[in-house]
Amino acid sequence: MSFINPLSDEGKQIVREDGGDLDRIFDENDDIIDAVNSITAQEISDDAYIPKSYVDLVIKRVEWYVDKKSDPKYNHKKYAFLFYPEIAKFDVIAFYILCQAIGIKYGPNSRESRAVSELQGQIIENRLEELYERDRLEIVDKIMNILIVQDRIKWTSLADLLSSKKINLQDLVLKDGNVILDREDFMEYFKDVVKLQQPERMYNVFIGNRIKELIMIKMIMQNTENYIKNVHEIAGREVEPNATLLKIAEEVADALSKEIRYYGGGDSGGEVKASPLNIEKFPPCIRKSLDGIKSGGRNEVIVLFLTPFLSYARLYPSVFSRNTTLKVSDVDADLKITQNEILPMIYDAADRCSPPLFDDQPQEKININAKLGFGMNDNLNLQHEGETTWYTPMSCEKVKLNMPNLCRPDKTCKGITNPLSYYNRKMREK
Amino acid sequence: MEFFKQATPEERKIYYREEWDVNQVPNFILGQLENREFGFDHFGRGPNDRYKTFNSPEYLKRFMRSKTPFAAYCSVAFYEKPRKREGWMHAELVFDVDAKDIPIRTCNCDNVCEICLNEAKEIVGNIIDTLKSDLGLKNIHLSYSGRGYHIRVLDESVMEMDSDVRSQVLKYVVGADVPNDKYENRGQIYTLRPYSIPFGYPKVFTDRIKYSILHLTKDSKIEGISKNLLNKTLENRKFIEENQWGDFLNKLDPNHPKTGARNYNKLINSIASLNMSLVDGKVSIDLKRILRLPSSLHSKVSMRCTEVKNIDTFDPFKDAVPKFVWERKD
Ligand code: SF4
Ligand SMILES: [Zn+2]
Repeated sequence: MSFINPLSDEGKQIVREDGGDLDRIFDENDDIIDAVNSITAQEISDDAYIPKSYVDLVIKRVEWYVDKKSDPKYNHKKYAFLFYPEIAKFDVIAFYILCQAIGIKYGPNSRESRAVSELQGQIIENRLEELYERDRLEIVDKIMNILIVQDRIKWTSLADLLSSKKINLQDLVLKDGNVILDREDFMEYFKDVVKLQQPERMYNVFIGNRIKELIMIKMIMQNTENYIKNVHEIAGREVEPNATLLKIAEEVADALSKEIRYYGGGDSGGEVKASPLNIEKFPPCIRKSLDGIKSGGRNEVIVLFLTPFLSYARLYPSVFSRNTTLKVSDVDADLKITQNEILPMIYDAADRCSPPLFDDQPQEKININAKLGFGMNDNLNLQHEGETTWYTPMSCEKVKLNMPNLCRPDKTCKGITNPLSYYNRKMREK
Repeated sequence: MEFFKQATPEERKIYYREEWDVNQVPNFILGQLENREFGFDHFGRGPNDRYKTFNSPEYLKRFMRSKTPFAAYCSVAFYEKPRKREGWMHAELVFDVDAKDIPIRTCNCDNVCEICLNEAKEIVGNIIDTLKSDLGLKNIHLSYSGRGYHIRVLDESVMEMDSDVRSQVLKYVVGADVPNDKYENRGQIYTLRPYSIPFGYPKVFTDRIKYSILHLTKDSKIEGISKNLLNKTLENRKFIEENQWGDFLNKLDPNHPKTGARNYNKLINSIASLNMSLVDGKVSIDLKRILRLPSSLHSKVSMRCTEVKNIDTFDPFKDAVPKFVWERKD
């Protein structure tokens, strides 16, 4: 069970018994190696595929997540060990090491923390897929029974999940405020109205285990984030953060940054198309602003400089050569990229300012939306798109005038008039 | 006698001194008066006298009698220090349906009339239904705002929710998103159109789309729907009246089997986004909004903002018209 939910009592028990010694987590650990080797589905042709220590295991988890997402040649067999219960005990400890490292170094609102919670969610999803149907039902039921104290779930108790957009209200089947998960409940409420469509099938297709698993996974993800937050708060009270964990955190962040490696590079020639952001190709001024602004001018940098740059670099890098204006939704129809990739980066940078930008000026979020073309509104809503225009990235000259300490030109900057052109040029170089 | 004419300062005085009674302010406001912020518009230029508080109905009464404001508002939020708008505790969840702004109205009036007020009332009824039956919310109040309706939910379980959750609730109750129509079960993908799923959000969505289609007129102008498609929709909407969605789809897209449902998809998508503007979304996600105070006078149209106890029998032209309007000479 802790294999699915490491935050369960069983998981905590494992850590209490075996996970105490931080000094030895870099050491080669024969038990881990043996366990991985015993898994028949595991590819062992290359020794590098086998995790040798706890830290190795932590990094492998992250690499799996990154590879799967962005490597077109992703090889599942390389990571098969992650999905077999033979490694359960070690996996739980690796999970805790990972969360603690991220908690101490980056805190709960960081990109790293979000990635860790997403990574955990995907690991669970994949582990469930390895199970037989019946085992799968059983384990999900068991875990849900513990996660959810009362008999029925009210949708209102999922407010956190709804607010963080992990779950969409429309995906839940609701009746009298309850989220319908059980077959019996479903039949009781809807038997009469679905009689034409074979209620059994309707239940299986529409609810089945699907929603239950969804909620379970999302709850564990949320708990993971809460745990990271907790670690962060406790660490904040200590004088000196644990050096081992800090080191691991950096390795994790390194592994994660490969996620944004650019894979499209093949086509020769001019135009750079909408594609995942590659931080390594950002100009010095942008990199500097991503680290957060420590003195005055936070608003300007985040709202007027970063927001246009990141959104255009991600969605419409060729704006200056193409000479047509677009709306964000012309490229990103359901705004998923904007919500999941662009805004988080902007918000992270805002958080890294001191003091964090939104703490004393929450209204700047609205200004960011306005610069993306969605009017002065709390939310990115297609309905409001066009009330303002999608602000284009400012020129180097303007940067130098308005925020002189951001501009630290390197050799690529020569002959460049706009930070976005810098990015395009670098992207074309490959 | 003329409705919807601005009230004169004299008429306001008559209203607040002779007709208005502080006990017409609903209990859900009077009961916790000291935690709400009040705002007033004295000159008809918008509520700029804000941050007011009243520790008892008696103070409120005195204020209204002596100032006879052009308009009066109170916050949907409860504060520890309402005078400073500090210590936000929680806020009502609000849906504002303004008859003037309903995107499809069968009347062609410039302002509001009996027809669109009735349509606003129907929409409100549908929303309240969903709030109760799907979302299981209680403690729902309704007031007539003078030109439409405010649904005010004081169920504790939603009062602390943030804007993001509120916007999801809003989209759910108005049917603003086209539901998923692909469902996976044991490796198999099923395509289920919303009208074939008689429960959950797809059912709400189907009902809202049906309402909207049945209220289209040949003059309706909807983004994404051509004149041609509109006519086709109107010709065939008898099928929708009888819930024969499959037949409706076949008429719209004769050669559809599955992929060729272009007109149908266009129609559904356009109406879904139009449904979003049945309600003023900004009001629903604003945690600090002020709303017209029930019992107060909406001077611009000379109607009373008033709590609606029974939506079925409520008639704004009987129940929200102040006496002075009946006594007008013109
Ligand atoms: S020259 Fe332009 S791109 Fe280079 S650092 Fe300065 S502002 Fe940035
Ligand atoms: Zn009208």
